[in-house]
Amino acid sequence: MKQQRFEFPFRLMIRPFSCFWDMKYEGKGTVRDAFIIVVLLVLAMILNRQFAGFLVNYYDPQLMNSLNEVRYVIVPLLLWCVSNWSITTLMDGEGKFREIFMVASYSTLPIILVLIPFTLISNFMTEEETVFYWLFIIISIVWFVWLLFVGTMTIHQYSASKTIATMFLTLIVMMIIIFLGMLMFSLLQQAFGFVYNVYREIIFRL
Amino acid sequence: MQNRIGMFALLVVLMFTLFPGSAFAAPYESYQYDFYGYAVAAPAPYLPERALTGLDLGIGHFEQPNDMHITENGHLYVLDSGNNRIVHINERGDMVRIISSFANDDGFNQPTGLYVTRDGTIYVADTENRRVVVLSAEGELKKTVENPESDILPPDFQFYPLKLTVDQAGRIYVISRGMFEGIMQFDENGQFLGFVGTNKVRPNIADYIWRYLSTREQRERMVLFIPSEFSNVDVDERGFIYATNVDLTTDETIKRINPSGEDVLKRYGYHHVKGDIQYDLYGSNRGPSRLIDIVYRGDGMYSVLDGFRGRVFTYDHEGNLLYVFGGIGNQHGVFRTPVALAAMGEKLAVLDRGTSRIMFFEPTSFGRAVNTAVSLQYQGKDEEAVPYWREALRLNANFDIAYIGIGKAYLMERKNREAMEYFKLGMNRKYYSTAFKRYRKEVMREHFGAILNTVILLSAGFVFYRIYGKVRKRRGNTGETTTV
Repeated sequence: MKQQRFEFPFRLMIRPFSCFWDMKYEGKGTVRDAFIIVVLLVLAMILNRQFAGFLVNYYDPQLMNSLNEVRYVIVPLLLWCVSNWSITTLMDGEGKFREIFMVASYSTLPIILVLIPFTLISNFMTEEETVFYWLFIIISIVWFVWLLFVGTMTIHQYSASKTIATMFLTLIVMMIIIFLGMLMFSLLQQAFGFVYNVYREIIFRL
Repeated sequence: MQNRIGMFALLVVLMFTLFPGSAFAAPYESYQYDFYGYAVAAPAPYLPERALTGLDLGIGHFEQPNDMHITENGHLYVLDSGNNRIVHINERGDMVRIISSFANDDGFNQPTGLYVTRDGTIYVADTENRRVVVLSAEGELKKTVENPESDILPPDFQFYPLKLTVDQAGRIYVISRGMFEGIMQFDENGQFLGFVGTNKVRPNIADYIWRYLSTREQRERMVLFIPSEFSNVDVDERGFIYATNVDLTTDETIKRINPSGEDVLKRYGYHHVKGDIQYDLYGSNRGPSRLIDIVYRGDGMYSVLDGFRGRVFTYDHEGNLLYVFGGIGNQHGVFRTPVALAAMGEKLAVLDRGTSRIMFFEPTSFGRAVNTAVSLQYQGKDEEAVPYWREALRLNANFDIAYIGIGKAYLMERKNREAMEYFKLGMNRKYYSTAFKRYRKEVMREHFGAILNTVILLSAGFVFYRIYGKVRKRRGNTGETTTV
């Protein structure tokens, strides 16, 4: 059982259709594992920024902040889950929020598996060989998108075209959420500023 | 409290009196751009040495001076435009003569450009008289260039020469007001030859869309997309023309034009060769540098003058920014309206129209180390340059080019590991890669036996493990079947 739990995410990378099916109907995979994968992804990103070879590492060490990396992974992931859930609820999707989250995080496994070894290997590359580094990074991202696509299709029981449409809509909803969030913050700021100014005005006049 | 301020003031006064060192004398802050494009502090490469006014020479103030030139033997010619005269000063700073008339009372009218060749021939862009005047070293009129005629010039063309330079063959390169086609080239007899180095027009996508959407009438009334004019020219010893323009939309405000008219400036540095790369986008101090003068310094180095913020930028032949100094202000060493830049050996001079004076600058030990190292490197003496690079690094650890310079010398000595370290400090990935490739090969060759042994051992171990696993499985299987 324990070994199966360890094996499942890797099997999912190779056989996404049957594994996502198992995830939905056979109860394979857990939210806890999904969280572990997210943490690993954050870790891999931080390691990559810090330890990738000089020839592929363009990050300004002065701006490096591990907490930022957490933000760059967790925020988009949660945004994706919320938007996807919002959209699919309206579009007769069968997936639960829990499943959406699990699909999103399990799908990132190829990125982790490529990022960690290539962070190491990039230290031994010359400039001509860095092409392979970028190639594998791109492959991992394409793989991730593929898994996300299959996962979304399976848990919501959609057709392929409908899945693509939902994924695009999800991206748009993500942007709308960001926009609304920013709007809210700026309005709050203004409201707060107004109250504060009134307060100061009163203080000065008294 | 009062006491403390008093103490502090005393301390400051003491500091200035006890250490009247040059470090305090710079009225500007020098900086450099690092790999990531941030301006980082750098020691002053040049310090103001002295100022020269017309009063010092006993000839009254310069009035609206527009240009100056320093010849190789150190003679300084100032174009005192408001007084319509040329002031000739020798290398010791003494007045030699004033040229205000030639050929029976002929004179200048608001001249703006001046060039003096090695043999002392003076070329003046006599703007409002619409001609270029060529005077011999003795101040006698040799010839004038007026009203160029050619099929490629528009029929209503008005010749208003602004700035000029002359190459060793005697060809004259003139920037004329309103002449957008490029720099006008004249042969040694004053015959118009053609244009060199046109600035390209690059309308952006918004312009295209806007044009596409507008009606014919609107389009006709629109501003024409015309290329920008050049602002100044200089020529190097090989006949390449260095030119600046004040186009605020392009990143190529400095050009090096080869004899066939193409821009061949090397731009291998981290950033654009255009003066400041970081500047305000809003406010009165916004916008990129406005380069109004350029001077070729020898050994591939050239300096440009930013007339807007009063800074002098110096680049090496590969387009690396070496140092920056100068500024706008009222103190000794900064300018109000800088208009011209000239070089005298390692020294630099800036003509300030706002205060009608010339500021001379001399290199600090940092500036001198950089100049020497760059020159040596240009001549291919990379190893001889190393001590100067080290000196520059001692004074400025942010100086990336010095790391690269030392790295190059190491690379030639085949000290690949050290070279790698220095290229990494200098953030040069290309050379780092070369050094790393050699180093890797070196290590591989050295430890070839060990690496091969490890590979053989590992693969043998792997094969053994597989066989062992299979055997155990088979045994396990048979065991199971027998029990069942």
